[in-house]
Amino acid sequence: MKRHQTGLLNQALLIVVIVVLAVLYLCAALGLIDSNVMRIMLSMCLYCAMGTMWNLMSGHCGLTSLGQQSFVGLAGYTLAVMTTYYSLPYGAAIIVGGILSALLALGLSLVFFRMRGMYFAVATWITAEALKTIFTSWGFVKKGAGMTVKLRPYPTTMEIFILALTLAIVATLVVHFLLKSRTGLGLSAMGNDADAASSVGVNIFKSKLVCFVLAGFFTGIAGVIFYMNKGSIFPTGGFSIEWTVSIVFIVIIGGVGTSVGPIVGSIIYVLLSEFLSKYPGWSNIILGIIAIVVIVVMPDGIVGTLQKKFHFEIMSLRRHAPE
Amino acid sequence: MIQQIVNGILLGGVYALVGVGMSMIFGIVQLTNLAHGEFVILSAYLSTVLCTNLGLHPLLTLIITVPLMFVIGMVLQNLLINRVMARGSEPALLVTFGLSIIIQNTLLLLFSADAQRMVTSFQSLSVDLGPIKLPVLQLLVFGIGLVVVLLLDLFMKKTYLGQSIRATSDDKTAATLMGVNVKHTYGIAMGLAMGTAALAGLCVGMPWTFYPTSGSQYLIIAFGVVVIGGMGSIKGTLVAGLVFGLAQVLGGTNYGMLVSYAVLLIMLIVRPQGLFSK
Amino acid sequence: MSEPILKVEHIQAKYGDFLAVSDASMEVPAQQVVSLIGANGAGKSTMMDCVAGVHTPTSGKVFFKGEDITGLPAHEIVTRGLCLVPQGSRCFVRMSVEDNLIMGSFPKAARAHMKDSLDRVYELFPVLKEKRNDASGSLSGGQRQMVAIGRALMTRPELILFDEISLGLAPTIIKDIYARIKQINQEGMSVVLVEQDVKRSRKASESCFVMLKGRVVLSGPSQELSEEAIKNAYFGI
Repeated sequence: MKRHQTGLLNQALLIVVIVVLAVLYLCAALGLIDSNVMRIMLSMCLYCAMGTMWNLMSGHCGLTSLGQQSFVGLAGYTLAVMTTYYSLPYGAAIIVGGILSALLALGLSLVFFRMRGMYFAVATWITAEALKTIFTSWGFVKKGAGMTVKLRPYPTTMEIFILALTLAIVATLVVHFLLKSRTGLGLSAMGNDADAASSVGVNIFKSKLVCFVLAGFFTGIAGVIFYMNKGSIFPTGGFSIEWTVSIVFIVIIGGVGTSVGPIVGSIIYVLLSEFLSKYPGWSNIILGIIAIVVIVVMPDGIVGTLQKKFHFEIMSLRRHAPE
Repeated sequence: MIQQIVNGILLGGVYALVGVGMSMIFGIVQLTNLAHGEFVILSAYLSTVLCTNLGLHPLLTLIITVPLMFVIGMVLQNLLINRVMARGSEPALLVTFGLSIIIQNTLLLLFSADAQRMVTSFQSLSVDLGPIKLPVLQLLVFGIGLVVVLLLDLFMKKTYLGQSIRATSDDKTAATLMGVNVKHTYGIAMGLAMGTAALAGLCVGMPWTFYPTSGSQYLIIAFGVVVIGGMGSIKGTLVAGLVFGLAQVLGGTNYGMLVSYAVLLIMLIVRPQGLFSK
Repeated sequence: MSEPILKVEHIQAKYGDFLAVSDASMEVPAQQVVSLIGANGAGKSTMMDCVAGVHTPTSGKVFFKGEDITGLPAHEIVTRGLCLVPQGSRCFVRMSVEDNLIMGSFPKAARAHMKDSLDRVYELFPVLKEKRNDASGSLSGGQRQMVAIGRALMTRPELILFDEISLGLAPTIIKDIYARIKQINQEGMSVVLVEQDVKRSRKASESCFVMLKGRVVLSGPSQELSEEAIKNAYFGI
């Protein structure tokens, strides 16, 4: 009875979400959305995609990466190089940027997956710092002077927003279905007991690899879209730890391991940063304090805490045994 | 070349000091303190402020900074980190990450992004030994690093408090059964680590310029000391300091950091348990 | 008869949702050897952890020398004169044998007697004196167990709990260690032996408590309980 109700509620919710998204696409395409609002929603979508991916790694695979900026920067530079040097369209940059990031993730995973938690975290972060140093002294990408994105005609904010919105939706769905698949089942078994899971034949390495490479791919694409909107890229910005700071904040606030946590987190994060941009210098301090307070007093994040309180899970990953 | 190696060795003493606190916390509390670099830089700023505002000699600022950082460390461990540690190492890691962001941005807010440096009376003095030049300042910070690391080792081996810290890192429960209050011990360990950070802050702040964002650079060195040295090995800590000192000097201004990153990444891949751990 | 040195009243203990001890009581008369017998998973170690303060019982009371010590942290209980030698001889493996022993005199009251206690331990286990500068991680299982016992004695306890001290040791070494325990007891120390071996523990103790699935199911003076009766209770027959 109870389960039946939850199912109905979930279906109703799904319809609402689809309608809202459809309206959003339509309004954007018709130019009904104020450009400032569009800019804000665009960042929400990009952070949502990146947060969802980090959540997949940290919340489900135990891979706490502090080096997501590697993917953002690499893909951002791919866009700049492809459009400036080869006059290629942004569609190509999205694909190549995503693939290069995925390849980077693949390469890193081969050597980093042997490391335990904190070593992995620091190794990913050092990799990003090393990339930053390399790009700062690499003549091809104009060293520290940075590069601009040259597209003719330059895509409008509306176009970029539609790309970002699509990315966020695809990323969320991919993660959702991945976790519902056999790989996801293996991952949740691993979360409960890694040794037991591997002894019953769950290929942990492969499952983690899939997640890490996917995360690289989508985070890279988010980077391409971000720099398409920004127009220029510098090594200090592209490979900045700030990216990871924001992503970690989003997932912690929303709730690590919850399906909609990154969505809620990215909305809160972007609104909060908009508000705090009036107080330059303070914003990171305040975000840092909020994150620590949430870790201490609300370890399940906003979504996790609400779900526990109301015993209701949005986009539940639980498998119900047939009755 | 010899001059460069000498420079690298002198730098190594300071790096060992930068890393020893991080190594301690990693070994004893089993916490990766991502804010360690920021604590070093925070101390450097504290010393600078005391220098310029109270007119204290840089070395005398330690009388204030070391106890102050010790207390901050204890409070932080007892109020914050012990609480989240109970839920595993990941939340604790993220809390220290948050702390590093807060400290770094607070320093930016207070002191702007400008380069800072402590001015000392012996800035340009040096001892000439034939073809080798030994700057007095570098010698001094090298000496401080060496003495502090060795004293800390002595403290750990020869006092009840030090023994209890080592015992706790070996087996928490068994230590409790000997009457050791583990949470209290963690507090003291963090206090000590922060005390070494205060010393390290002075030692990096006198010879080199620093920025609010310099913390991450020192964190990587500290992490390198943890990785190469293995925890709790004094010999390992010193050797790791030297390795990074030499890597930095031989890589030059442009590639020094890159060489350090490469050394660290290779170490992480080849031998994540450290060269000197058993 | 005088007041027992340790009195455990109806304690219950859980690990998460798992009920490890459902209802267990026991008494240890002063200066006696008492054994707590039971199969693997009967709840013996959990019960000892509750007594020593390593684990907190969900209900029930623990009295030591007439004082309520329920829920006190382990590091405080040891200063009152109750010391547990945990299962698996948990030495501080990176510290030398002597440093391990010196750690035993960490409680303030024990520090003043450090030298005497150390001599006493070396007298009991001469092999430790020989190996005092070796890292305890390099010792054999039996020697590690001696370090753990010696370290506990350094805290100068009035009651000492041995949790499965013979686990994984060769019979001759077990015999030797039991002889030392007897010696310790004759000097006035009260002892609790946690064991799976019915025969050995019955012989070594003045009274027995048998645990089965989280409960104390049988107790009495060792002489009055037949090996048969203990075994039946042990297996729940």
